[in-house]
Amino acid sequence: MFALSKRSLNHILVAPFTAILLLAACSSVPETKRSDARDPYEGSNRKAFAFNMGLDTHVLEPAASGYRNVMPLAGRRAIDNHIDWTGLPATTFNSTLQGRFENAGLSTVHFIVNSLTLGLVDLTEDPKAVKSQDFGQTLASFDVPEGNYLMVPVLGPNTSRSLTGRVVDSVTNPMSFLKAGDALQTMQTLRPPVAAVSTRANLFEAFNDVKYNSLDPYARTRSLYYQGRAGRINATVGKPTNNRTTDDLFESFLEDPK
Amino acid sequence: MTRNRQIGILTSNLPAWLRSGFVCLCLLPLLLTALPARASDQITAANDVITSMISEVETYLETDSGNIEKRTKNITKLLDKHFDLLAIARFSAGPYWRAANEQERIDYVQTMRDVVIGTVVRNFDQLSGLRFTTIDSQAKGDKMVLVRGLFNDSTGKRPPVSVGWRVITPAMAPAKVLDVEIENISMLVTQKQENVTIIRQNEGRFSALVETMRKRQQAP
Repeated sequence: MFALSKRSLNHILVAPFTAILLLAACSSVPETKRSDARDPYEGSNRKAFAFNMGLDTHVLEPAASGYRNVMPLAGRRAIDNHIDWTGLPATTFNSTLQGRFENAGLSTVHFIVNSLTLGLVDLTEDPKAVKSQDFGQTLASFDVPEGNYLMVPVLGPNTSRSLTGRVVDSVTNPMSFLKAGDALQTMQTLRPPVAAVSTRANLFEAFNDVKYNSLDPYARTRSLYYQGRAGRINATVGKPTNNRTTDDLFESFLEDPK
Repeated sequence: MTRNRQIGILTSNLPAWLRSGFVCLCLLPLLLTALPARASDQITAANDVITSMISEVETYLETDSGNIEKRTKNITKLLDKHFDLLAIARFSAGPYWRAANEQERIDYVQTMRDVVIGTVVRNFDQLSGLRFTTIDSQAKGDKMVLVRGLFNDSTGKRPPVSVGWRVITPAMAPAKVLDVEIENISMLVTQKQENVTIIRQNEGRFSALVETMRKRQQAP
């Protein structure tokens, strides 16, 4: 049952090499000419961003709009629950690595209980009790530096650290080793695009505001990504990131009356 | 008076350093009681601003007929009353505020104000059905308070949204809102990073930011 499927093996082999090739393809901008010190590959990142926006305009946005109109609220909730459920093994793995055994135990229990419904219905009392953890957060907990900002085609904004985390999470997730019946295999294959459409639908207005109303959608996306990621790492790992916190920025602003 | 004289008699024979130490010791309890009182005043002032602002927004939503002119008038009034627009402009321009000349600053504040009003007017409908509940208020230094709360959708269609209001609380002036944080993402920090990127891409020219803002405003 847990034998490696050929597709999973391909994913495992291809993902790190793709990441390495992407990193090698980027050309660095001198520090004095950067619009943000964390973004030395802004030129190639902006190209990847333009590609992603094109993909969004022609595929994701219409799909998400249709999904919002057609899928009833209960159905959308079931799909979101299933996507959360498939992420629980990664949370168990990473919580264990970080020594957060309570969270590891909780996510294991939630995974087992909700496996009765394939995660479509949440049978636990408090779904928010489990703090979602990924390998990028594990690396942050080990004080691995954040690295540079990378806009990856299809995958979106990342840092070198979080991209490494994504690769490791995809390799270590037991769901990707699962060799099951045709129906389950189809679900496995459909999960990433469905998750992308569902996320886009859940953030429909906010995403469109960034895309259509920003002065510079690329710069805005980068800022939102960094702040969101820092908030997540602070909340779940309990460590401030290398960047200055929002509180620090406001404090130094108020210290200077000019 | 007699008591003061008694203290004077008690301390007059002491060396100066000891006398000042004695005075400090007497004032310490006063200082210790004054500090939490200031923090508590700050928090009250910040909570009052948010409560008053939310109440005004609710009134506008109840009477909103979709008339853009009336909506713009209401939002402008609300923004001028409760938000510190000059501080918002100064923060969002980042280090380039210092380099900007007087006219550029005036143009930027005016354009930014128009952009903010336009954004709120455009998205005002989305606030309908939301109810704000304050969760906690925390003093951040002696000049700012973060009022945290939740926006709950009364229809249940949208999940609760965590919102934080950063309120400036000067000792001698009314408290005003500086920033809004949505799900721990600061709108003002986001705007600042976007603005700084635009200025840097235009070789540090502050006026390029105002030009970009105006172009965006005129775009359909």
